[in-house]
Amino acid sequence: MPKIILENVTKRFDKFVAVENLNMVIEDREFITLLGPSGCGKTTTLRMIAGLETPTEGKITIGDEVVFDSERGINLSPAKRDIGFLFQNYALWPHMTVYQNIAFGLENLKWPKDEIRKRVTEMLQMMKIEEFEKRYPSELSGGQQQRVAIARTLAPKPKVLFMDEPLSNLDAKLRLEMRTELKRLHVDTDSTFVYVTHDQLEAMTLATRVCLIKNGLLQQYAPPLEVYNKPANLFVADFVGNPTMNMLQGKAKKIDDTHAEVEFLGHKVKFESEVPFASFNEKVVVGIRPEFIQVDEGPYEGEIYATLPAGMETTVKLEVNKEIVTSMKFGAVDYQYGAKVKFDITGSGVILFDADTTDRFAMGKVTLIK
Amino acid sequence: MTEIKKQKFKNNLKAYFSKPANIITVLFLVLLIVAVVIPLFTLLIGSFKINGNQEALYTGIPDGSFTIAHWKELLTSKDFDYAQIKFWDPLFKSCLMSLLSCLVAVGFGGTVAWFITRSDLPFKKFISTVFVFPYIMPAWSMAMFWENFFKNTAINAGKGILQAVTGICVPESVVYGFFPCAMCLGLHYAPFAYILIGGILRNMDANLEEAATVLKASRLKILTRVTLPIVMPALISTVLLVFSSSISAFTVPFFLNKSSINSGNNFISISVQMRSLINSGFTKGQGYVIAIVLMIFSLAIITLNNWFTGKRKSFTTVTGKSGQVSLVKLGKARMVIAVILVVIVAFFAIMPMVSFAMESLLEVPGDLSTFTLKYWLSTEPFEGSNKGDTIGILRSGIMWAAMGRSLLLSLLVSLIAGTFGILIGYAVSHKRGSKAASLLSDIAFLPYLIPAMSFGAVYLALSYTKGFTWLDGSFFLLLLVGAFKFMPFASRTGTNAMLQLSGEIEEAAVITGTPWWKRMTRVLFPIQKSSFMSGYLLPFISCMREMSLFVLLAASYTTLVTTVLQEYSRTGLTQASNAINLLIIVFVLVIQYVVNKLTGASIDKGVGG
Repeated sequence: MPKIILENVTKRFDKFVAVENLNMVIEDREFITLLGPSGCGKTTTLRMIAGLETPTEGKITIGDEVVFDSERGINLSPAKRDIGFLFQNYALWPHMTVYQNIAFGLENLKWPKDEIRKRVTEMLQMMKIEEFEKRYPSELSGGQQQRVAIARTLAPKPKVLFMDEPLSNLDAKLRLEMRTELKRLHVDTDSTFVYVTHDQLEAMTLATRVCLIKNGLLQQYAPPLEVYNKPANLFVADFVGNPTMNMLQGKAKKIDDTHAEVEFLGHKVKFESEVPFASFNEKVVVGIRPEFIQVDEGPYEGEIYATLPAGMETTVKLEVNKEIVTSMKFGAVDYQYGAKVKFDITGSGVILFDADTTDRFAMGKVTLIK
Repeated sequence: MTEIKKQKFKNNLKAYFSKPANIITVLFLVLLIVAVVIPLFTLLIGSFKINGNQEALYTGIPDGSFTIAHWKELLTSKDFDYAQIKFWDPLFKSCLMSLLSCLVAVGFGGTVAWFITRSDLPFKKFISTVFVFPYIMPAWSMAMFWENFFKNTAINAGKGILQAVTGICVPESVVYGFFPCAMCLGLHYAPFAYILIGGILRNMDANLEEAATVLKASRLKILTRVTLPIVMPALISTVLLVFSSSISAFTVPFFLNKSSINSGNNFISISVQMRSLINSGFTKGQGYVIAIVLMIFSLAIITLNNWFTGKRKSFTTVTGKSGQVSLVKLGKARMVIAVILVVIVAFFAIMPMVSFAMESLLEVPGDLSTFTLKYWLSTEPFEGSNKGDTIGILRSGIMWAAMGRSLLLSLLVSLIAGTFGILIGYAVSHKRGSKAASLLSDIAFLPYLIPAMSFGAVYLALSYTKGFTWLDGSFFLLLLVGAFKFMPFASRTGTNAMLQLSGEIEEAAVITGTPWWKRMTRVLFPIQKSSFMSGYLLPFISCMREMSLFVLLAASYTTLVTTVLQEYSRTGLTQASNAINLLIIVFVLVIQYVVNKLTGASIDKGVGG
């Protein structure tokens, strides 16, 4: 039911443009993450949809209702938008007990007392915080406060739930746990989630679609795996994925619509795309995910720069033609510094970015010529 | 074994005193105990003993002997209703007055604070700048302005502004007595409430209110269920501090307790009562009793305050990420509210100065045809003056000499109090959590709780004590009193500023071998310059405009500019006292402005803390 549509939404603070001409459709029951470095306008976007911030221009629709339209002067208050909002610092009221915090929203909806009691108990059980009912927020740990905040937000059963970096104040272990729970919650509550984060891993693992924003401009809006495999430009490629994608300067020569000759790392390779090139530029950046670089065997050679074993996998950094190439290897291995190793570039996920516009224009596989 | 223990003790001692923070702590603990605790003790003793021959004559008990006569007579004597008239009535009325002034201060200051921090009101800059003027002005300015504005010929007090402009004569109880005292104190402390409450509102996480908005709470409900409970500790602190300041306020009731016609409207506040008891040689001891009672009031209030703010729902989690504050839109009312506020604020901030200027320029108050510059410039004594020395104040050697002394005193007081404040701040922040540190910080704050008059009385009692008589009436005594009375402001600002600096900043300098002195002057001071300068500015301004504190101690009325003012006012030289008052206000405002522009220091950094 609630589909959220943003049309040409712009927000300016004096001269500084926080969000520029954003167009976006969030389908019902989606789990969207707004991802980007700090100060990129993602929180502002979320707050504008929630009604906590007034856009300078544009139109926002939630469900069938226009909640904001600069041209018609419509601006619904957050209370009328039927939403839930989870704040980064939880914003629990320090003078109310856990129970009072959760019940507050239901009281505003004029629920009968016993219904409120029932619903709050249900939420307390769901978040596993029954025993803290009578405590004050300052007497809870960060993770417990977080659960109370979620319970408070979910209690009135909002159709849309907005979350502003809700896990950033938690420690790493708890964050992992809460991620799983949020994903479960999304399934259980049947509502639309919009989630702001600067953590690319969080965005990738949680979302059905990721919206990448840089300096107030939308970069890519697609499912996580598409964002990972087919980044729209160098910014997206660099921001998503850990370790980051290898980005190597190169020169390309077009052979036909799907073939090109590319020079990089001191080698000349044949590039073969499955679909015709979207455009073409001779100055390219060759983007290769670390997992497509296989060490030990292959036609290329490099020198070990560093190895970073993490147990399950090992990051191997190679120096090739004075450039550093990152590769991933399954399992724990160790190499001697400076040792010469062979490697191969596998798969059909090698990407060519236009070095001038930074946009992706081709994806395919490479074979060594010399 | 014992040799080892001795060695260990010696080494421990050596290690302890190798840290500057420890040296400062010990030094200041000793100094403050001598300067604050001992005089307090003297006062306490003074209330239990016969002070001087006159008192011995009056009570029939030999001089110097121990007695509870002062307490007994003042608190219980039924002769001519003595206790009732001299103590209980003034105390009760003063309490009522203070309650009313709290209401005015918190209501007015709190409302302005809310509009400034939480709404899209226009002219915020103007309002917030001008609104604090009444707090920067001497406390009695509002009282003088009140009198200038409302006095009228119907009550035999000369034409005031209101009568001159509209012809309206208000009844005497509006001009003098209980009601105007409460109003003037309330208006004087409203900026104080504004600074305290505004500070909390500014620091309060706006998300707390937004969370309520999202959960569909009405604006009224957000205010009553979320905002007010969260600012409640600040509100209570404000009420308590305004109450304790009001009940011990001397100057305002002193200026407004005149009763021109015999209407029985005479309002004697407890502090005015104290002063008249102490000034009479027969009842000094009873005056000390009131001083102690006032102090007990303040201590009780501060204890209450700590109890309120230290409860389970402690609001330590209040501050947070509040970068994105969405301001309440006032809509159509925006301009109306803004204009009303600007007018009110400007009225109470600027009109007093206009009125002082007017009063000082008119021979017959309210009659523009009697315009004259003689109260400023005349070289001849005024007619009707019973003092031969009262000539135009800009030419009066007495006034300038007093001004010079006031300036010198304030400068020295601010230097001592400010520097001590920084040092105490350094020690307290370094030894945070230790018993010595909290003791030091408590004792340094003690003078704040002691009403200015009582503090004066404390040192007065001391200067009559054997061995200290050389202090009596000396400039050094004034300096001592001023420096310690105004140190709480400085030590609070100093401590807050030091606490904001992370320890690593100094440690980085320690590791490179920078000596302590250099760390203070080259590293710590420059970083928190504006805060530290506030620690100097506040004592300076407070001292410059202070009267209650010095009024008991000054050797003669010519000692300080404020005592000259008080004497002129007492002897009916209204024009001259208005002129001097204007001079002090302009002087203080200019200094505060210049210091603020040069260093970024400001008074609102000092109070509250």
